[in-house]
Amino acid sequence: MNIQRIAAVMLKEWREIVRDRLFFILAFVVPASFMLLFGYGLSMDVEDIPMAVLDQDNTPLSRDYAYRFMGSRYFDFKGMTPSLKQAEPLLLDNKLRLILIIPDKFQENIIAGRTAEVQTIIDGTFPFRAQTSKGYVAAINGEANMELLAKVLAKKAGMTQEAAREAVQPVKLAVRYLYNQSCQSIWSMAPKIMMVILMITPPFLTALGIVREKETGSIYNIYASTVTRPEFLLGKLTPYAVISVLNMLILWLFAVRLFGAPFKGNVVFFSLASILYVVCTTGIGLIISVLVRTQTAAMVMTAILTIAPSVLYSGVIIPVSSMGDAAQFAASTLPATYYTEVVLGCFLKGVGWSILWSRIAILGIYAIGLFSIGYVMFSKRPSR
Amino acid sequence: MKKETSAAFIWLQRHAAMIRKELVQLLRDKLLVFFLIYAFSMDIILAGGSISLDLKNASLWVRDLDHKVESRELMQRFQPPAFRLKGGVDNAHEIQTMMDKGEAMATLDFGPGFSENIHKGRQATTLMQVDATNSVLGTLAASHASHIVFQFSLEKAQERLAKAGAASGGTPSIRDAHRVWFNPNQRDSWFMSITELLTIITVFAVMLPATAMVREKERGTVEQLLVSPLSTWQIMLPKILSMTFVILLGTAVSLFCVIRPIFHTPIRGSLPLFFGVTALYVFTTSGLSLFISTLARNLAQVGLLTILVLAPMLFLSGAWTPPEAMPGWLRFAMVVSPLHHYIDTGFGILLKGAGMEILWDSVGMIALIGGIMLSVGAWRFRRQFH
Repeated sequence: MNIQRIAAVMLKEWREIVRDRLFFILAFVVPASFMLLFGYGLSMDVEDIPMAVLDQDNTPLSRDYAYRFMGSRYFDFKGMTPSLKQAEPLLLDNKLRLILIIPDKFQENIIAGRTAEVQTIIDGTFPFRAQTSKGYVAAINGEANMELLAKVLAKKAGMTQEAAREAVQPVKLAVRYLYNQSCQSIWSMAPKIMMVILMITPPFLTALGIVREKETGSIYNIYASTVTRPEFLLGKLTPYAVISVLNMLILWLFAVRLFGAPFKGNVVFFSLASILYVVCTTGIGLIISVLVRTQTAAMVMTAILTIAPSVLYSGVIIPVSSMGDAAQFAASTLPATYYTEVVLGCFLKGVGWSILWSRIAILGIYAIGLFSIGYVMFSKRPSR
Repeated sequence: MKKETSAAFIWLQRHAAMIRKELVQLLRDKLLVFFLIYAFSMDIILAGGSISLDLKNASLWVRDLDHKVESRELMQRFQPPAFRLKGGVDNAHEIQTMMDKGEAMATLDFGPGFSENIHKGRQATTLMQVDATNSVLGTLAASHASHIVFQFSLEKAQERLAKAGAASGGTPSIRDAHRVWFNPNQRDSWFMSITELLTIITVFAVMLPATAMVREKERGTVEQLLVSPLSTWQIMLPKILSMTFVILLGTAVSLFCVIRPIFHTPIRGSLPLFFGVTALYVFTTSGLSLFISTLARNLAQVGLLTILVLAPMLFLSGAWTPPEAMPGWLRFAMVVSPLHHYIDTGFGILLKGAGMEILWDSVGMIALIGGIMLSVGAWRFRRQFH
């Protein structure tokens, strides 16, 4: 290992990056703009569900019941509909997601102390939204039932409304949200978006950087030079890792300053984990670059290996513990999974070394492993 | 007359030759072919098979200081699939550590007087602590839990009323029967497999023509094309057509070999319509790809520009997140995105069985936005040669 030669390769690579103006700018613009876009746009809140009401009873009580939906912030009331026939095409066309049907004799049944049926039709194309909508409907319905019961009790036992309401709800649940008291979507998303971006961009930059030399043929200069394999890889990869670390800092500032996500953890611990993670993802880029010959293939392979796994399996949307067995196994093989725990721990939970030390160790092993594989596979004497 | 037919013949022949050249070139890139196959098969299997946005097996620990029938009865109602009752804890400190480590998703706390309160007619409270680092699951867990407790509470209230004799003559209630259309059991695999297919179609539509073009620039073969008797249209159109053909082929493979047989996703609408709309979508979205190819000078730039264009398109299309919840200005951005309309159409045809009479506006939007993209792309593409 000769420091001078490493520095020379590094300098050459750095110049090449900086001189490709568009590439250099994009290397910083892409991550930053992703952060902005996803930070503002990636909301899993289910609100403003467009709905219509089909009131076949049309009595004061049925209108009261329908009003519970119209007034809710979870639903966006689009209008009354005279028949299901007219509402159905709107459901097919995504103009409506939910239709509430109140059949006739609704009021009659309630006054007589019987069970009145209502029906909701929910658009099930997006299961998560359907599930959540069902939850809202159940909550509104439960509230209505409780008030009915309280009214009966108040009348029969001669209690006040308030006392009756308390009496019909003997058990109450108090919920406390830990780590994210107001359950803000952006607080939990911003750190994880950081993880996703740092999973996608470093391999892209790295793989393209190396494969470009292969495709243009300039790599033969390297093959013919006195630079050894480790010197070449170190010199070649360091500039990309540095860019990614800078990006990490920018993203961190965005998360904390712009989105107001709390950072409760230890800065040193977080920086160390982040640098290890960036080194890991740069290593993924290295391996891809060894495997492919063309830049097109490098891009496609990077996209497939990084985007879907980082978004789907590493706990951004659903935590690893609630995945199926196959997905859990896939998750456990990804460095991103471990880094997710680190970002969440550092940002929201404020935990550090004592609980997360093993994650750092795993990231370190990954970094060493990925680079060893890349080192073994990279050859200065290619067979073709 | 004779001259005109032969001109048309030559025009067709040149296109055919160029399309053949593009396909051969694509097929020779073995790895690219491998990833095309992977994306249209394995990737969809993985996405459809394992991703679900539901609360599953949330590990629940209980701190029960009451040890009575009521507290036990209530905690036993926290059952899979949503919750998994893991066991009991004794002190608050232990709970904190488990939450920090991520071993507990939620804890339930029963104070000493819990059942006594119920018996004496006072309101009894149980406290649930939820890990909200994932805000979606935090809210889901809370909503599931309040539903369980609410039901329990209602039953206790009815018992109490019956005992007091107040319930004579029956109590009124409202029962809600919900029907979920299009996906009655809310199978995530139906949703995810189609979403992933539409996503992959978009990825390749934006990526392939641009890489095919810029590769020619990078290798210098574009000079050969320019000195050949081909017009810019004859260079451009075959690239788009051949890539559209490849993507449609992949779509057919994944629909008939993956999505239908493996996930049993029903295909309710007209298949010719779906393929027609897909062809229109891919063909017009290529305009975006052409545009990228005019900006970039090498493939590395294509790569970065592609993800710069693709990521927002995918994330803001309503494919992965409910579109209704987006802020106003992003909802506007969504209307401009062709993918948003394509997803509406794709789900409309495949899952909902809707036809043109309902989807005409979305298809119209695809044609309109795509037409604009294609014209701008083609204009830039032609201009770069002059």
